[in-house]
Formats: sequence, structure tokens, C-alpha cells
Amino acid sequence: MSETLAAALAPLAEVAEDPDAYVVRWKERTGGKVVGAFPMSFPGEIAHAAGALPVVIQENREPDTHGRNLLAEFYCGYTRNIADSAAKGNLDIYDGFFLADHCIQLLGAVDVVRFESPEKPMYFGHLPTSLGDSWTPEDARKMMRSFVDEMGEFAGAPVTPEALAHSIAVFNENRRLLREIFEARRSGNAQFTAEQMQVLVKSSMVMDKAEHTRLLRRVIAEAAEVPRDDRVRLYLSGHFSHAPKPELLRAIEDCGALVVDDDLFTGMRYISTDVPEDVDAVDALRDWYLQRDVNLPCATLVQHEADWEDYLLNSIDRSGAQGVIVLLVKFCEPHMLYYPELRKALDERGVPHLLIETEHEGVPEENVRTRVEALVERIRRNQLVRS
Amino acid sequence: MSTPVMDKTRRLEVNKAGSKMISDYWDGVFNARERGDQVVWYNGQALNPIFQAAGLVWCHGEAFSARLAAQHLEVPAQQAGEEYGYLGELCSYSRTHLGCAVLTQKSRQGEATGIVGMPEQEQLASKLPAPDFFVNAYSGCSTGQQWDDISFRVFGKELPMFNVSLPFLWGNKPDSGYLVGEEWEQTSLHVEDQLYKLIDFIEHQTGRPFDWDALRQNMAYIKRASELRREAMALCALTPAPATFWDWISSIAHINFLPASQELVDFFAAVKAEVERRVAEGISGVQNERYRLYFDGIMNWNKLGWLAKKFAAHDVAVIAGRYTHHAFWQEPHMIDPENPIPGMAKHYLLCPTNHGTKTIQNLVLGDCEKYGVDGIVFHSTRTCRAFTNPQQLVAKAAQRDLGIPSIFFEGDVADASFYKDEILESRLVAMLEGIDSRRSRDVTG
Ligand code: SF4
Ligand code: SF4
Repeated sequence: MSETLAAALAPLAEVAEDPDAYVVRWKERTGGKVVGAFPMSFPGEIAHAAGALPVVIQENREPDTHGRNLLAEFYCGYTRNIADSAAKGNLDIYDGFFLADHCIQLLGAVDVVRFESPEKPMYFGHLPTSLGDSWTPEDARKMMRSFVDEMGEFAGAPVTPEALAHSIAVFNENRRLLREIFEARRSGNAQFTAEQMQVLVKSSMVMDKAEHTRLLRRVIAEAAEVPRDDRVRLYLSGHFSHAPKPELLRAIEDCGALVVDDDLFTGMRYISTDVPEDVDAVDALRDWYLQRDVNLPCATLVQHEADWEDYLLNSIDRSGAQGVIVLLVKFCEPHMLYYPELRKALDERGVPHLLIETEHEGVPEENVRTRVEALVERIRRNQLVRS
Repeated sequence: MSTPVMDKTRRLEVNKAGSKMISDYWDGVFNARERGDQVVWYNGQALNPIFQAAGLVWCHGEAFSARLAAQHLEVPAQQAGEEYGYLGELCSYSRTHLGCAVLTQKSRQGEATGIVGMPEQEQLASKLPAPDFFVNAYSGCSTGQQWDDISFRVFGKELPMFNVSLPFLWGNKPDSGYLVGEEWEQTSLHVEDQLYKLIDFIEHQTGRPFDWDALRQNMAYIKRASELRREAMALCALTPAPATFWDWISSIAHINFLPASQELVDFFAAVKAEVERRVAEGISGVQNERYRLYFDGIMNWNKLGWLAKKFAAHDVAVIAGRYTHHAFWQEPHMIDPENPIPGMAKHYLLCPTNHGTKTIQNLVLGDCEKYGVDGIVFHSTRTCRAFTNPQQLVAKAAQRDLGIPSIFFEGDVADASFYKDEILESRLVAMLEGIDSRRSRDVTG
């Protein structure tokens, strides 16, 4: 990687490494309010339009301590870490919280946040999770409307349609740029490591979008075309709500593999869908919500026509991935339910794959390495047999 | 594993007759195909009065998993689920039932190809008739809805499904509370609307007009049964308690999914009569009741009899619980048999996992006072996050607001491997000692 590209990436890497520090600096700089949004469905555009900074709350790097007696041990790493952060006061940097998800563990964790910070505005809206019903679009529209109204109340002034339209355009631009980079990786450009791809998305979840877009443009300007070599091409699938640990991504690529595509939340899932710009903004946000599951099916939603396994097989074809690593956040129920469907589809297609479960604390790097090496070996052997 | 020495439980006699009602019901489900009935698989809330009025046979997924676990027959289904790829940390109701779906689907394919006598057919787990369609009405747990979506996929994505969406009662508005406030009113109307649509869907599936008179009659039976159940439960606030939490567990199936009928009403009338008789004769649900505890957690079905004996062996009467006392048509005054849908919609939202912690805390602490309990036992139900979500916070509130101590023990709804007897035993003993010393302080001080 060129020095200039490394320099362009550095400010984004810094934010990805320590999102809280960015939030604090942003507040000092602007005097504005920060909205903590819980993954994976709250549209940040609404907070942006209200003049606030929407931040997708990230799992932090600290070991869980205080939160341990607020949620049981069989909760996913993300939710346990949220409870811990709430108990330690780490979430005090947020002025209010918005949540649009339908994952019962997340609701439990957010209830802990409410318990720890009862004075903070906290809004939960139930977006319909069964997407195929005839009344879903109207229900989703009503919920988006109420998000907009609640946000206006939070900000102290109504969110105007013009502001919303502007924010939508700003967010779309950022997503489009990120998707360009993903598309290049899928089509053969091996410029960025999996860890760097994560930096790009994670920093976008935290930073002011216009600022992020400016920095992203510098990265794109410095990026070069680096053709793929003969490393085994892998696809990363899953990992809802938060980012896999960078050291895990490093361990995977250290085994002679190259990640060529993903459907991770801190990856393709976050940027998969734009908000339409040619319709009423509330309708547009509703359409974004419904379309996301069509573009990249999500196990937390129900839609019979949308099959995650089909999406995965298509993406494998498009990116030329030779194997799949399913990163499953340990105890993540929606993913545990869908995993067998993915496994069945991959088996039927003869795609080698590996399931790795992750937790908040401790990536068993050696164990991961051994298993990834075995997968890479198996793929190489298959290649030899075929050639 | 330590064993309770003596059986000091005095379970209600009427439960024996009750068990027969349950096995008759399931036999009726297993034979549905022979009778040419249509079968619906459903999950979550008690939609059965609607199915009954429509002339369907209904099979509740969680109930079937619970039954398998209670009979210690869950293993073949769980193995089938594991082989299919479900991890052991997934809700054990769902993985048991999905295992059944895998087995049922296999045997269905067997029928289609003329292969008979598959070994699985010997097992109860594969006896469920395949559904003609699914209805999902899960509140308070995202897993429930996904689980049915997966059943749909296991059955080859070809069976119709209706989804009733039951929003979580987050309770954040200034006027929010149990059975009150704008959130409650609006959400209830939203669910009512969906129930009318569900009935349209069912008419379409059965090809028959829906029998509204039958639904009204069903709800009249359920209202009466529920009133009797609640009246009997209330008598257990007396000391010593004439019946225990384990008795209410034994009659959950009845109030949750057995057919609405005069027989159901008679059953709960008999329950109440037996409880009243006990009060009159001074008979307690546990011999020598010395401690009164509250049980928070979804039921550990594999350990039902075991736990009942264990607590009784320590002279503990487990009086009430969130699972038994805040679910299953528990607010019968809201049911209007002449206009049944609104009361039904409201009950479907009242699952004890469908409220934010604030409401649950109020409900549990209210019960603790009403039933005069000395402590709370939290069943930290390993694979059910819906039930465990608020437990730690409720425990803290009970200690802070009422000075009531709690213990936690691990187990699961339908997977015996998570239960650790030593942990329950040692924590229970420690809590009872704590209660003793507090009592002696109260007396001496
Ligand atoms: S990782 Fe899974 S279980 Fe955890 S919050 Fe996200 S969807 Fe829920
Ligand atoms: S996790 Fe609990 S509430 Fe959810 S489906 Fe399973 S048993 Fe039911």
C-alpha cells in the first residue's frame, strides 16, 4: 500500500479504533447533539436531518465487567457489551437513543441502558418485521413518520421535508462511494484487506457523513488497481449488529486467503440500499427499509420471497469466492435459525465453508488459524483435483 | 446429583383428570389426517378459539416441544434438529419443534414415495401431522417469528402462512402502563385489525364461512374457565397456600390450548372446588410450609416433577410465578363473548415477555406483596432470552424496594443438559438460611 493511501486511511482508522473519542470531539467542535442508534434498522438520515450526529453504537474493546450482572452470560457479545457500557457510563456521551430493531436480546440490552440512564430520551419503534403482508408498507410508513416526529421532539424543532431530503442525498452519496469500493473488490481488485474494508464502513457508521465522504474521496483517489493473486478467495458471511474483531480478519487473511466479498453488517449489509430521492422523504425511508431485505436478505426479518442463501450463492458467483466463512455472533438467535438453510445451500452447491462463532472477549486466534488453514488447504486440494 | 429425600408435595388431585384431557387432545391431533381434518401449526399466542370455530385441528409448536420435554421424549427431535444444523444455544422449543418438522417432513416424503415403516414413525416426535398452513402470532420474542419462517422453509416453501404482528409494549410514553395509555390502546387496535384479517385468511384456507357464533361461544367458555382459575389462584395468597405454582403449571395446557368447552369450565370449577376444600380443611400444597417463594422464568419442562419435589423437600411453597400468573387469559374481565376480538387482541399483547422491564417489575413486585413471598427464584432459562431479559433488573428492584432476596439457577425450557442441580441446591439452601436469620433478627430485634 502506498504511503499516501495509508495516510488517507489513517483518520478513518483512528475513528474506527476509538469511536467515542470522535463523538466527544464532534460535540466539542459543534456543540450539537449525538443520537446513539442501535443496529441494524434505524435510518440515521432522520437524526442527521434534525441537526444531530447519528452514531451506530459500536461494541467497544474493553472487557465486560460492571455489566456482567445486568444481562445473563448467554447473550450475544454485542448486547452484553452494551449493558456493560451502560453500567460504566460509557454511553453518557449520547444525548438520546433510537432503536428500530426486532431482536429480543437487543431489546433486553437497551432496557438496561434505559435503567442505567433513565433521564435520557430513549425511543423504540417497532418496524414491521414480517415484510410480505399487504399492510406492511403502510405500517412501516407510519413508523417512519413517528420516528421523524419523535426526532423533532428530541431536537426541539420539527424535522422539515427539505432537511430530510438533503440528508438522504448526503447518506446516499456516502453509501454509493462505499459500494464502489466493494464492487471493485468483488470484481478483482485486491487493494484493501478485510480489516481496511471494515475501517471504511465502521468509520462511516460513526462520523459525520459529509466529513466521511470527503475523507473517503481521498482514499478512493489514492487507491490503485491491485490484481488478485493466487491466494484462496473467501467470502465472509453473517456477523450481525457489530464488527468482527480486526484480529480475526487478520488471522483469516494470514492463512493465505483473501476476502473478496461479504454480507456482514459492518460491510455490505450496512450500505446495500439507498433511500429513493424522487419521492416523499417518509415514503422513501419506508421503501429503503423494505428494499434492504430484498437487496440483502436479513435473518431478523421475515419475507418468503427473499432468500439469504440465494443471495449468498449469487454473490459467490459474482466475486469468484472459493469458500465461505460464516461468522456467527455466538448466541445470535436469528442467525442460528437461518444457518442450516445457508449450510444446506452451500453443501448442495459443493461450496466449502466453515462456521466460526465469535464472542466479545477473546478471539481464539490459534484455533481460528488452524481451522481456516484446513479450509484453505481443502480448497487448494479441490482446485488441484479439478485442474 | 442430590435427591430430595421425601416427597412433601401435595399436588391437586384434579390434575390427574387434567392429564387425560391433555393426552386426549394430542391423540386427536395425531389422528387428524385419518379424520380428514385440516391442520394448522401455530406459535405464540392462544389463537386456538379461532381455529376451533373454523373447524381446524391446531398444533402449538411450543406446547408440543414442552410436552416432549415433560415426557422426556425430546431427544430424537433435538438430534434431528442438530443434524440439520441447529446449534445447541438456539431456543430449545424452536430447535425441538424444528427437529419435529424435519422428521415430519421426512415421513411425509416417505408417504408420498410409498415408503412406510420408517423408524422415526415410531417416535412421538414424528407423529405430528404436517400442517396445511401456518399462523404465527408471537409476542415478546423475535425468535418465535423467525422460527415459523424457518418451518415454512423446512416444508419446502410451499405452505401458506399468516403472520400476526404483536408489537412489544416498550412503555416509554408518559401515560404508558399496564393496560393503560395510548401505546396500549393503539397497539390493541392494530392487533384487532390483524385478527379480522386472520379470519379472512382462514376462511380462504378452509373454503368455509367463519362461524362467529362458535367463536363467541368459545370465548364465553374461556372467560368462565379463566375466572375460575384466577379465583382459585387468588386463594393461594392464604398461609399456608392450598396449592402451588406447580399445580398452575399442570393446568397451563388447558387454559392455553385445549378446546374451549363445558368440559374445560368444569375442569377449572373442579380445580377451584378442590382448592376451596383444602382451605376449609387446612390442607396445604406443601407439607409443613415454612417459606414462600416466587418463581420467575419460563418453565423447565424436563424437571417439572423434580423441581416440585425439590422445593417441597426444603419446606418451600412456590406460590406464584410470572409465567403462570401473567399469561393465559389472565384478565378475563377484558373478554366480551358478544364482541370477542378486542379482548382477544389485548390478551395476545399481554404475554409476560412482551413488556419493557418497568412493567414487568411492577407486575412481579406486586405479586410478591400480594402473595407474601420471602424470596424470588429466577430460572435463568438458558435459551430463552425473552424471559431472561429483565431478570437481573427485577431482582435488584425486589431487593431495593421490598427487601426481598433472590437466587438464580440455570436450566432450560426443553433441554435438560443446562440444568445444574448442585447450583440450585446450594443457592436455595443459602437463601433459606438468610431468610431464617432475618426472621430471627426480626423476632429478637
Ligand atoms: S448479534 Fe444477533 S442477537 Fe445480537 S443484537 Fe444482533 S441480531 Fe440480536
Ligand atoms: S426464546 Fe423463549 S419466548 Fe422465544 S420462542 Fe423460544 S421459548 Fe418462546
